[in-house]
Amino acid sequence: MTPIKPFFLWKHLNKLRWVTLSVVFSMLIFLPYAHLYQTYEAAHAYDLLADSEKQIYDTMETITSPFINDPEEDLDAIKGNTWSGTFFGLQLSDPLAVIGQIFSSLTFYTPFLLTALIPIAFTLVFGRFFCGWICPATFIYELNTNFSAWLRRAGLKTGNRRFDRRVKYLVLGTGLVLSAFSGSVVVASVYPPAIVGREIYYSIALGGFGAGSIFFVGTLMFDLLVARRGFCRYLCPGGALYSILGRFRIFRIQRIVENCNDCEKCNAICEFGLDPLRDSFGQECNNCTACIAICPTDALTFKVQISDAPDKGPGHLGRQYSKNKVGIIEAAA
Amino acid sequence: MSVVALALAPTTTRAAKNQPSLRFLRPPGALPEEEFLSRCIHCGQCGEACPNRCIKYFGLENGLTSIDTPYIIPREKACILCMKCGDICPTGAIQKVKVELEDILDKVHMGTAVVDKQLCLSWQGKSCGVCYRACKLPDVAIRVGYMEQPHVLENCIGCGLCERSCIQIPQAIKILPRKT
Repeated sequence: MTPIKPFFLWKHLNKLRWVTLSVVFSMLIFLPYAHLYQTYEAAHAYDLLADSEKQIYDTMETITSPFINDPEEDLDAIKGNTWSGTFFGLQLSDPLAVIGQIFSSLTFYTPFLLTALIPIAFTLVFGRFFCGWICPATFIYELNTNFSAWLRRAGLKTGNRRFDRRVKYLVLGTGLVLSAFSGSVVVASVYPPAIVGREIYYSIALGGFGAGSIFFVGTLMFDLLVARRGFCRYLCPGGALYSILGRFRIFRIQRIVENCNDCEKCNAICEFGLDPLRDSFGQECNNCTACIAICPTDALTFKVQISDAPDKGPGHLGRQYSKNKVGIIEAAA
Repeated sequence: MSVVALALAPTTTRAAKNQPSLRFLRPPGALPEEEFLSRCIHCGQCGEACPNRCIKYFGLENGLTSIDTPYIIPREKACILCMKCGDICPTGAIQKVKVELEDILDKVHMGTAVVDKQLCLSWQGKSCGVCYRACKLPDVAIRVGYMEQPHVLENCIGCGLCERSCIQIPQAIKILPRKT
């Protein structure tokens, strides 16, 4: 029997993911500088700028002049961050922003509801893809995971506890109820992508980090010292909302049991602590494709179906899994 | 540092919320305070659209509910009424306002200017009139009389350009924010 090969491109999607993460993150750094450039341009007083401001002005002029004529108007095309942004007249918002606003104001403001339509549609198809492919906090959190791996290699102990993943639905519910009672979208203050977007803007354009940066550093410490990628796995309210929306996603990563050799690299690499080896992805999977990229025997692929396949048992290339199933589960945990 | 101090001292924060000693303005076209807070999603686009960079963001100094919401301190930098923040606001917390006199008078209520006659140079006999010249709506919001003494009219929307430009220290003309 010829082995079933997954489409060759899936193996390289993880690199593409890092490209999109880097692009989103560098845009969040670029946009505040673009805004500064616009304000300098609007002031019509190049000679009065300080040297550092002149540097920013010159750099931004060099970068943007091939593409635009009038920075004051043309650079308005892209504004905002991943929490809520404007992209060439198209306004996009995080679904959590919309839900949070519904709870805090207890009204439906249709033009704003429509801004979350495209993200929601994509989430219904691709699941929790935002968490793996766009979220600017993911960019930092994954680097933080790598950093903790270095620390471990250097002999230091990093946190590797496990909690119940359903805690984050509780955080989401609590955040929304608090929003309703306080009359303000407080859930935005505990949602890392919103915080990262804002804080980068504050630090560049307003001259210093704000209060949210303390919270964000706290989550990094939590990830490092308590649980690997703990905030996204167990606490993130936005991740909870995306998980609910992506429960019946159409594109799923599935295991090809014939190719699998039970090496368990997929379980080790999975940032969200899922169990690809035993076909257990669930609604939490963010389609980040790290497991596909690391699989040595091409045993993971994308399938179009709305629910996970039941546990297919040990891989046909493997030997240990069937012999000592409990032991492997213990090792994974 | 002050942010950390406030985070560690919740009583201070609560006092600031219950008795607002902070004198700040919301961006032009903002809804009344309660409704504004319930609509605003703290995305920061208004500040990013502001060509004058006058919109800043709260830390914890005005209470937890207004964290990361926009404000303007007119003495530091005042609103030039370009209305770009309203155009970009996705939630309608800041209304869309046309740059026309009727629409601005109809929708923009940031506050009202108040003249301190003891401090004002013109009222003390040295003709000045800087606030009148700074005003975007001269003779609609502010009028000058004898010796260029400023008289604030009831159409003043409180953009704060007069306060920003006042040459007295401390400023003789101040914006009293709308208290709703």
